[in-house]
Amino acid sequence: MKMRAAPLAIVGAGLALCALPYLRLPAFYESFLYLALYWVVLATSWNLLSGYAGYFSFGHGAFFGAGVYTSATLATRYEWPFLWTLPVAAAVSAAIGVGVGAVAFRVRGVRGELFALLTLAVTFVLATIVGNTPIDGGPGVYLNAVPVPKLGPSATSSLYLMMLAAAVATLLISWTVRNSRFGAGLFAIHDDEDAAEVMGVPTFRWKLGALALSSALAGWAGGIHALFVSYVTTAETFNLTVPLTVVLMSILGGTRHWAGPAVGAVAITCLLFAFTGSSQAVLGKGAIGLILVAGVLFMPDGALSKLLRRPRAQTPVEPPDAVEAPTASVIAPIEEAPRGARAKASTQPVLAVRGLDKSFRGLKALSNVSLDVREGEILGLLGPNGSGKSTFINVVSGHFAADGGEVRLDGRDISGLPAHRIARAGIARTYQIPRPFAQMSVLDNVALAAMYAGRGIAHVDAGRAEARQWLEFAHLEGKADALPGELNLHQRKFLELARALASRPRLVLLDEVLCGLTPSEIHAAVALIRRIRDQGTTIVFVEHVMEAVMALTDRIVVFNQGLVLAEGLPADVMNQPDVRDAYLGVAHA
Amino acid sequence: MSFPSWTLLAQSVLSGVFVGGLYGLLGLGLGLSWGLLRTINLAHFAFAFLSAYLCYQLTVSAHMDPLLTLALVVPLMFLLGAGLHGLSDRFRLTPFSSLLLTFGVMGIAESLMQWFWTADPRKLESSYGDMKLRLGPLYLPIPELLTLACAVAVAFAAWVVLRHTDLGKALRASAEDAPVAAAFGINQRRNSFILAGTCASLAGLAGVCIALSGSISPSQMYGWVGVVFAAVMLGGLGSAFGPLVAGMVIGVSEAVTMAVTAPSWAPLVSFTLLIVILLLRPGRVG
Amino acid sequence: MLEVHGLEVAYGQAGALWNLTLHAGSGELLCIVGPNGAGKTTLVNTIAGLLKPKAGRLVMDGHDITRWAPHRYCEAGIALVPEGRRLFTGMTVRENLDIGSYLPVARGLRRETMAEVLELFPALEAKLQSPAGELSGGQQQMVAIGRALMARPRLLLLDEPSLGLSPLVTQGMFDAIRKISARGITIVLVEQNVAMAMRAAHRAYVLELGRIVAEGLPDDLMARPEIRKAYLGI
Repeated sequence: MKMRAAPLAIVGAGLALCALPYLRLPAFYESFLYLALYWVVLATSWNLLSGYAGYFSFGHGAFFGAGVYTSATLATRYEWPFLWTLPVAAAVSAAIGVGVGAVAFRVRGVRGELFALLTLAVTFVLATIVGNTPIDGGPGVYLNAVPVPKLGPSATSSLYLMMLAAAVATLLISWTVRNSRFGAGLFAIHDDEDAAEVMGVPTFRWKLGALALSSALAGWAGGIHALFVSYVTTAETFNLTVPLTVVLMSILGGTRHWAGPAVGAVAITCLLFAFTGSSQAVLGKGAIGLILVAGVLFMPDGALSKLLRRPRAQTPVEPPDAVEAPTASVIAPIEEAPRGARAKASTQPVLAVRGLDKSFRGLKALSNVSLDVREGEILGLLGPNGSGKSTFINVVSGHFAADGGEVRLDGRDISGLPAHRIARAGIARTYQIPRPFAQMSVLDNVALAAMYAGRGIAHVDAGRAEARQWLEFAHLEGKADALPGELNLHQRKFLELARALASRPRLVLLDEVLCGLTPSEIHAAVALIRRIRDQGTTIVFVEHVMEAVMALTDRIVVFNQGLVLAEGLPADVMNQPDVRDAYLGVAHA
Repeated sequence: MSFPSWTLLAQSVLSGVFVGGLYGLLGLGLGLSWGLLRTINLAHFAFAFLSAYLCYQLTVSAHMDPLLTLALVVPLMFLLGAGLHGLSDRFRLTPFSSLLLTFGVMGIAESLMQWFWTADPRKLESSYGDMKLRLGPLYLPIPELLTLACAVAVAFAAWVVLRHTDLGKALRASAEDAPVAAAFGINQRRNSFILAGTCASLAGLAGVCIALSGSISPSQMYGWVGVVFAAVMLGGLGSAFGPLVAGMVIGVSEAVTMAVTAPSWAPLVSFTLLIVILLLRPGRVG
Repeated sequence: MLEVHGLEVAYGQAGALWNLTLHAGSGELLCIVGPNGAGKTTLVNTIAGLLKPKAGRLVMDGHDITRWAPHRYCEAGIALVPEGRRLFTGMTVRENLDIGSYLPVARGLRRETMAEVLELFPALEAKLQSPAGELSGGQQQMVAIGRALMARPRLLLLDEPSLGLSPLVTQGMFDAIRKISARGITIVLVEQNVAMAMRAAHRAYVLELGRIVAEGLPDDLMARPEIRKAYLGI
């Protein structure tokens, strides 16, 4: 199987490269390879958080520098044997990374460009502190007196072998993460962090984990590099070269591939070597800048993805089903299924909501809302625009926190829990405008839900197998490898449904699933929803397409201006005068 | 760490005000494009330093008065700024891709500057350089005074345009809700080119002031990034006077820190402020 | 004045129009009603130029404006009062009104038009310097309508003006709309509040699931089953 070949290839290449020092080649080769491996470690480690999860950091220099100075200080001032300084360097960098992350990731607004700036600022703060305290103090730290561990025939060889080990480890970690449940969660965070959270991914912990790994590896490389250059200064260590170059290498090679940054690293190192030693050395940084500019403009996904992309049979987005001539009734009548017999007489409602309140900037969106959802039923939530239906779904699924009241799932209080815990408890939802993870395949979209929500499947392969079942259920099995962007609206809605079901939830919240579909697509969707209920899933169904509501729902609840206006059997409720007024409006004199 | 004399402290505060003025001048263009165009334009610093070097070169080779170089630098920067914006527009870059692009431009610029002018610091020798005014025991160097005057004038001009002209209102409206602004006839595409060019011209003006005030070297460019970002974020994106006031606050706190401890601690002030603002009020920013 | 032929719009994959044809005559107060999700806002946004149709044509005063750039629709004489107001909340009321009269022709008549708007909505006079975001819902709706009037439009598009407003305020809004219509401005009014809309309109269309299912005079339409079926499903 193709997947397992990668780690073997990495280890194999690593072993092969071990032989290099014994080939008695000119020192130039060892230096060149050392640098290439050094950049492989830095770029690949950067990519773990920034490429996979999308949190671009401009502060990799800080973690690298922390490693440099930890090793330098321990080796010179405290005369530790050099190899022992390396794990400490990694630990210190990881600690700083976790410290920064613990604070930055809690603040919801710090994403994208702001996170990049924050990490850049951290670099300069660290540099200033290091430069002004006895750690460096200004003159720099000399490591010439530090004995290099005898791992190879020369000092340079030993350092080369140390960096080789670091590179092999980093690549293995990158590959493992990429193909693990953890990695799938990171990629989901990359595409849509809020949706990932609602789907059960513990986003805070995951980001922190990626950052810790990333910074530890950078620190490790920093420690080794301190001995390699043997004279470290804050100016050289903390300047913008490291962050700029790792960003470039990863973008060039491709941030979504475990080997992308490594490819970029090797390519750029070769390029830089072409410039060194010539009078054109100064142009090196300019060349890097130029390549970054070209990369951003022409290869936004990176070179590797461009090379590896199997020419997809360009399936154009399928148009919605053929337009039908307008009939007197817009949709052909949907047969009503026998009711009542299905709603199990259970003593405890699946969902019990009491006194729920929610305000936005003074406007009361939900006001003392109380309702029950019974096992196995389809409950319709209706109401005019702005009546609070979507807010209700958002609060129950944990997207927003309620201001007051309680929500109980099977008797267990879930009010106030973070969204990912609510997903694990067994509540799934769809979005009115579908929010699939745009850069993950249809199959992986569904597999993610299977792995994180509900009971949560631990392994990617098992998750994918479960996902395939649900794709079949939703008639999407032919599109398993497609990207969501290639699906039409109807298929995207079915993908939302498959995702919601993949975790075998207790309760599914459907938010205007039928909105925007043609009449025949609505028929297909209604049939699917029936089959969902037939398997025993309880459904809460916000909808405007009245004919579908009448045909599908067992009971309906009507919202108006944040309050529950009426509740009961569909035909009874819709005939009530106050409900009619709420919908059609009241004419005044 | 001995407490300095009052004169020294006052002179420090004064120089803090002056350097703060320069932060504000540099920050104005950055803040306007961030607030109104939603792009974080790191190339702003490249434009400033390129202008500084151009000013230097024209003074040295063509014996121009440094202030006269503005006549060439400002229009040139306008074109460069509009051109870079054109790239962003043509390739439909996201705000983050723009950040990366301009990061790259900074690297290219540094290389070019180093290629033509070497890494050695260059000092602009001009008649203004040694002129100073005396105010009691305090010295007010003319170049710094000119810079401050420019900063205040330009901030005022920006304020007038944003508040009292239709172009300014159109820019603010488009930044808030571009489709609705378009529904009232605002051609945001054309306006954004004008704004991008103007911000680059402001960078050019700042660059000439930098050249007048001291020696310049290519690597210095990065030193300004943190402190100017702090001024912009503290002062508010898209604000005319905000970066200026914030810049002076930062400048004075840096100067006092330097007088009381050691100059090398100064960067800590602005970068820590930056981190604090990012964590406490990210919504106010970006 | 306004002709819409065979319009097909797919809007962010959440709402669509299918083969839609309608027209509005000069000076008419035309009403478009339909339940939530029918595509009313999609229709209005397309006529205002915010959305581009996949097929069909938009003709204003004989000019085919379908392919015009969005910022040129105002030149054609169309002004929009968006759903949810969408005021520039960071700007003052006066600045919002100024933006309405951004185009050169309207700009020249700014002072006169402002006086007319304040005559229609006297409550705004005291609030001219207030940031638009601080006003109540009803006041914001007045500003939104005023902003559109500042463009001196020939066609005024109103998208659900009664949304989120109390009955009393809604009443005042409709009175103002009637006055505007009396001045000869063609109005296309999209509303969920069927009762209020039908009392004001000269003619109406009923929209359901992106298609027109009925058209005619308000009283006739109210007697037919389409509206009840579309809204209540019964």
